[in-house]
Amino acid sequence: MRRRTLVPATTVLALFLASLGGLFDVGSAAAGTSKSGGASLPGDALKRLKSGDSTQVAAALDDVRVAGKAGAPAVPAIVDLLAHGLPPDLTQSAVDTLGDTESEAATPALAWYARHRNVAVRRGAVQALARTRGPVAVRALRAGLSDPDPAVRGFAATGLGTMKAKEALADLFVALDHKVVEASPSIGELCAGDECDKLAAKLGTMPFEVITSGLDVALFRLPADVNDDIKIKIVARVRELGTGEANRFLRAVQSKWPRRSSTKVKQAIDQAVLATSASPGAEGT
Amino acid sequence: MKWALMLAALVAGCSGAQSRLAIFSTDWEDDGGASIGRVWQRIGSAKVPASVDVVVGVAGRSGRPDELVGLPLGGGSKWTFSHALDVRPALAGGVVVGSGAGETFALDAESGRLLWKRATEGASLLGAGDDGSVTVFTLKSAGSAHELYAVARDGRVVRHIVTNRPLGTPAVFASMAFVPWAGEYVSVIDLGSGDEVARVTLRTETSHAWVGEGALWFGEVGFTRFDEHIADASRGRSSTVVLPIRELPGLPRLMAPGNVPLSPVAMAEDKARVYARPAAGEPGVAMEDGRWYATYFRIAMGYDVGTGNRAGGGLKAIEPGKLAWVHLHDVDFLGGAAGPGGIVLCDERGKVTELDAKTGGVVSEVDLGQPLKACVVNVDEQRVTGPAEGRPLAAQLAEAVLVDDPQLVVAQRLLLRELAAAPEELATKALVDLASDPRTSPDLLADARTDLANRRNGASFMEAALARHYDFLRDVLRAPPVGPIAQALGAMKDRAASPLLASHLLDPADTDDDVMRAAAALAVIAGPDEAIPLREFLAMYRANAGNDDLAAAVVSVGQALMSIDDKAGRALVEWAATEPTTVPYARDRLQALISAAKEMAGAGDASEGAAKAK
Repeated sequence: MRRRTLVPATTVLALFLASLGGLFDVGSAAAGTSKSGGASLPGDALKRLKSGDSTQVAAALDDVRVAGKAGAPAVPAIVDLLAHGLPPDLTQSAVDTLGDTESEAATPALAWYARHRNVAVRRGAVQALARTRGPVAVRALRAGLSDPDPAVRGFAATGLGTMKAKEALADLFVALDHKVVEASPSIGELCAGDECDKLAAKLGTMPFEVITSGLDVALFRLPADVNDDIKIKIVARVRELGTGEANRFLRAVQSKWPRRSSTKVKQAIDQAVLATSASPGAEGT
Repeated sequence: MKWALMLAALVAGCSGAQSRLAIFSTDWEDDGGASIGRVWQRIGSAKVPASVDVVVGVAGRSGRPDELVGLPLGGGSKWTFSHALDVRPALAGGVVVGSGAGETFALDAESGRLLWKRATEGASLLGAGDDGSVTVFTLKSAGSAHELYAVARDGRVVRHIVTNRPLGTPAVFASMAFVPWAGEYVSVIDLGSGDEVARVTLRTETSHAWVGEGALWFGEVGFTRFDEHIADASRGRSSTVVLPIRELPGLPRLMAPGNVPLSPVAMAEDKARVYARPAAGEPGVAMEDGRWYATYFRIAMGYDVGTGNRAGGGLKAIEPGKLAWVHLHDVDFLGGAAGPGGIVLCDERGKVTELDAKTGGVVSEVDLGQPLKACVVNVDEQRVTGPAEGRPLAAQLAEAVLVDDPQLVVAQRLLLRELAAAPEELATKALVDLASDPRTSPDLLADARTDLANRRNGASFMEAALARHYDFLRDVLRAPPVGPIAQALGAMKDRAASPLLASHLLDPADTDDDVMRAAAALAVIAGPDEAIPLREFLAMYRANAGNDDLAAAVVSVGQALMSIDDKAGRALVEWAATEPTTVPYARDRLQALISAAKEMAGAGDASEGAAKAK
């Protein structure tokens, strides 16, 4: 079987690679190696990535994926492959692999592919960006909230929460108003003070389970991030609904409330459970 | 057979007010215009009385009895008259004639006062004429029977004729009834004797006779003037004009057939209508103000009649002139009439609007005070005059094509063609807006994009559109029409648009076709500043172009990189042209591109060498 060549090592190409290198600033992070992660990177992985042979490249990408963070040294080579362009299957694989390395050096290339016309590539790139992180990733994911594809928007919303991108909170509220339901847990992850109450105030205007998916996250955050008063306020907002689903949500929170967490909040939860227990559809009614 | 016997009995057995059987006979032989010529000789110089200028609406409130609402256009008071209606009322001279609940009645058009009513069980009003002392009207009875009545102001029947011929809308003038029938004849009935004293055969479809504009007229698809040429009518030499057959939406008619009763509720054909007013000041016939008009639901349009307006002594088809103006109304028009200086239209909310003939601007608006089911308007001497806002045609067209109203799409397609031909930059802006608006009907969108691609001005509006991108969070849910704009800007060699087009190369919300056309334009207008996005695009899609549109875009981008002489870009193109993973469609063409560039460079070197040798 004839092997397809991907990157012939010619002088012209060397010149071109140098010029393209500026597109993706791989930076010093590329030289580092993750201390944690999966298996170690096979010694010939980099060689195979640069072989120009699609079969070898595919196998090398698999090895890098298995290596996880330990595959970080391969990031510049994978970025170079993407900078030249790959056939669809290898593009997808390269994007996913960069995510698995969790190397910020991969972020610029992934940000580029987060605008690819192939929606599967975009979805993969947005998910990978949430793992490689960095300011460029935050910018790309904020842009992803406006993507035509709902799944890309959802992954972007989730990723911003994962990355603790507080600067994206306003965008996430707009996204939530535009029915990007994945924005709710991310808001719960990022909100502070009135911002959490703003999320709680949406109870009754949006599906209950959407808002509570964010409130649940906010309630279990450390007091340093979300103080007791805000948590009590959230509980009160849910309690005010007086519905069976409010009762079930409060019971769920009550059941998993950590013993060492705030007793004030626990008391508010207990009272809210009691107050809503007679609601139609409440547990035990 | 039963009906024929009954009709014969009616004609033979009625009082002395009835006419002889020969009336409306079909064994009549064309007299070559002799009889109608004699009538013209007798009454041709008589002054034609003016009709009352009035609008009468059929009030449309549900759960209430039918009500007529009248408003004299000359400034009189509004009046109302309640009576069941089974057909639309008719306006003639100084009266309003209606029928319903088994009777026909006449009202004074100025005041709404009941003049007379009489039992006409089972018959529906077709039309009426009035000369100030006698009102003639036709009825359609059960089966094929038609009736002609002549009734004096005091309600006395002057003449009553029953026939199985299909009668149209009659006129009365100089004590003679002019009765169109069978679509081609007009019989002249002497109301004194009851005799048919003349008949004329017309060469255009005719079911209406009326007096107005100082003359007597016959028509349906056009206008035939009762003048010195009427005797030559059967030879096609009467003073006749027919309106241009244009590709108007809804196939509108100038007049509904006069031998069919009109519903008291306006139908679609009442909303899609053609209006015109024959002007008879000089011999022959011409269109008043050089205009004719058309309505389509809530759009009114004024057309120029072009050259050769006046006809005399022969049939003349008015030339299809240019669209002069468009008026977009807030609700559907139900009826109207062309008058001197403009057109008077009534709408379903009960508003009566006067539009200026020249500009289409609103001259005045009055309110009948209640919603209408239908309305009729008569304009004879009342002139549409007053200040009217005169906006450019392009602005009027833009407003009409941009309105979001699905029922207007057919008219909007027609107006879009007019807009595409308008030279103003404003027309370009309207096309950009239309092609960018997510509410635009798919039927209009394709035309708008095509028309936009062919524009050669308004670059600033196109660039402003390109600055926008699909943005879900900001509710920009349709990408701008990148492809057509790119084609236009490329043809205009608008280099300022290059960065904007380059940004769309990398926007996944744009269609493949848009990207292909943006790339094609960039091949012509890109500059060195676009090198990076061009390189990005080529690298990202050279092996990943899922279809020929994207592959063609890759080739165009390669061409752009070669033309801006970007060193790294050129290296990328040369590499991609030999790289096996580059999609074949693009690879082959990139190779051809490079070969052509090398040949040109070789030719350049050779000529340079030759010049040096000299």
